[in-house]
Amino acid sequence: MGGYGDVKLLREDGLRLDGRKVDEMREVEIEAGILPAADGSAWVKHGLNVAVCAVYGPMEAHPRKIQRQDRAVIDVRYNMAPFSTSDRIRPGYNRRSREISKVTAEALESVVLVERFPRSKIRVEIEILAAEAGTRCVGITAAAVALADAGIPMRDMIVGVASGKIEDTVVLDLDKAEDNYGQADLPMGILPTTGEIAFLQMDGDLSVDEYNTCMEYNLKAAREIHELMVDALKRRYMEKNGGEA
Amino acid sequence: MVELVPSLLRQELAALAANDQRIDGRGRWDSRDITLETDCLYNAEGSAKVTWGDTIIYAGVKFEIRTPWPDRPAQGSLMCGAELRPVAGRKYEPGPPSPQSIELGRVVDRGIRESGCIDMDSLCIIPGEKVLGVMIDIHVLSDKGNIFDACALGAIAALRTAVVPAERFDIGEDYPLAVSMTPTMCSFTRVGGRYVLDANDEEELGGDERIHITLGDEGHLHSLQKGLKGTFTPAEFDEILGVAQQRCAELANLVNSKEA
Amino acid sequence: MGWRVARIGDKEMSGANEGAELRLVTPGEAIGASSGARAGTGTLIMGDKLIATRVGWAKENNGVTSVDPIHAAYMPRSGDLVIGVVESVRNNLWFADVNGPFNGLLPMSLAPWKVEFGAAREQMDIGDVMLARVQEVDEAHNIVLTMKGVGLRRLKEGIMSEISMNHISRLRGDADSTLRQLKEASDCRIIVAENGRVWVDGETDGIAFMRTVLDLVRNEGHMATFNASLEALIENRRNA
Repeated sequence: MGGYGDVKLLREDGLRLDGRKVDEMREVEIEAGILPAADGSAWVKHGLNVAVCAVYGPMEAHPRKIQRQDRAVIDVRYNMAPFSTSDRIRPGYNRRSREISKVTAEALESVVLVERFPRSKIRVEIEILAAEAGTRCVGITAAAVALADAGIPMRDMIVGVASGKIEDTVVLDLDKAEDNYGQADLPMGILPTTGEIAFLQMDGDLSVDEYNTCMEYNLKAAREIHELMVDALKRRYMEKNGGEA
Repeated sequence: MVELVPSLLRQELAALAANDQRIDGRGRWDSRDITLETDCLYNAEGSAKVTWGDTIIYAGVKFEIRTPWPDRPAQGSLMCGAELRPVAGRKYEPGPPSPQSIELGRVVDRGIRESGCIDMDSLCIIPGEKVLGVMIDIHVLSDKGNIFDACALGAIAALRTAVVPAERFDIGEDYPLAVSMTPTMCSFTRVGGRYVLDANDEEELGGDERIHITLGDEGHLHSLQKGLKGTFTPAEFDEILGVAQQRCAELANLVNSKEA
Repeated sequence: MGWRVARIGDKEMSGANEGAELRLVTPGEAIGASSGARAGTGTLIMGDKLIATRVGWAKENNGVTSVDPIHAAYMPRSGDLVIGVVESVRNNLWFADVNGPFNGLLPMSLAPWKVEFGAAREQMDIGDVMLARVQEVDEAHNIVLTMKGVGLRRLKEGIMSEISMNHISRLRGDADSTLRQLKEASDCRIIVAENGRVWVDGETDGIAFMRTVLDLVRNEGHMATFNASLEALIENRRNA
């Protein structure tokens, strides 16, 4: 959170700078199975963010030292393409992407039935092609769709959503300016069927009441995005199926 | 990860070659279908997505203001890099840039640089102090064969549609980058003993060495590269160069059709 | 050749498009109440609900609710007929890629040849293709292969191709009817192995025909129109 309090983020009419209501999400589009080389894949456009995810495996876990005798490991790489931000990013790993990869992997391990594949690894490659605040959430959504597309068994999907605070007002789904100049950001990975939370980060300043409002907004958004995820997965086969089923 | 080459695949490719056939039914000098989209990435100043058969790549152009090299005080710079990250296929592994991805980036870089399509003098803002650096990054998302040609096409298409964000740099109004030529690449792979254009993933797996040819507008050669184990004869090169002359011109037309 | 490769229960396992009550589901989706239902493959009991764990077609059979996945990696089971590719050779054993997460191990004692210690590569080298059976799979997914058995051998000629797991039954048809038709039309020997690999050998034009068929399976195997398209291909071939 930048915390520069003097930037106006809410208009006189109470709407946000891009005209959204406080509890309104940016537009989301999802496609499944877009990368022919991958075992499963997804493309998610969320606002101006674009994330692509490829899943490979399950395959034998290499090197041996990462192998788990009783379950699969989920090997996540979250990466921002050099051209994804307004200033070019030097290719390669950095501390931010390593941290996001780690917590994303742990979130996905909470829904994937990892015990079905001892000694295996499942590779999840999240590539951010365009970034406009909230890429880690878009990455999680893309990863869940790609895992489902790859036929990896899961007990639920997982949806990446975020709420935050701008000008002392709780809003759903921060955009770039709101993320830069807002007061708090609360990204979550939510299991849409059960409402459980598998991914949680937060920075900034929130009262307990504000947190509760964020939570409520996030749950609502997760259900909305989940419908699009399900639709993307089904569309891939329904359309090709010539209308049957 | 070293890919396993089934002996049956090599036998099959040889048998097909003997009948002048290819594994996916194409003729020897036929390319797969190509879709080129430009201006498709929100934060890039120029961008392209290339869908080449089942191979998918993105290219994005970014600019920076930098101080010029001491020996060329009035010239900007160009850099082109390719990332072959593990997203692109099962065989790609995490880690520092592999020799393959460095080769890919450098071969594409040379074709664009040596064609002279960008006038380095035009990238100078204040001699000795401020010049523009042009950076092309190529991102391979799905490798199903012949990523070289797809990357070269994406790179030049992204450049030709790039807009210099002059306002953001406080150096005037945004203006389109001047690109005077359309260098394109044609790659040939030895499959079943003879060269074919635009090998797919199976042909690359069961094939041998490859040759990459980048030609400019006049059909001049700007970059050549031979990769992988194997040798070829001058007569073989003459033959594929003839094919490349025709094919590169078609690819350049495709790029030029995308310009505003 | 008359390979009997289908497994008991294959008919129930077959394709997405049979039966009107099939429903496309996604992971986490409730497909029934947990009470009274038996959870089959691709499902899980979560509290009072039975949920799907995979994208696939939910169906109920004799009180068992299960989901036929649209995509699934090959997980070896003992008795499976598989086509493997030799990945490495030791003095007295071979490791073969069987299109699954783990390599299969073929010990000298289960090979069809008498080979001297250290001479394994003379019989089968890296990249060579074998028809084998899964002898056993343990809990840690270690796979032992055998080549002792009728017809199990090194495949020296022909082509090898891959299709996805859920298309195997489409290529075979009910009680192998489609496979028989294809063998007749192509005049080729065809083996459809449990690990999604297909082997075809015959005359050049027969192999070319089968290549077209396998492309159709890969591209349209899950479509309702698949059987009609396949019929048309076969008809075309017969009239040519």
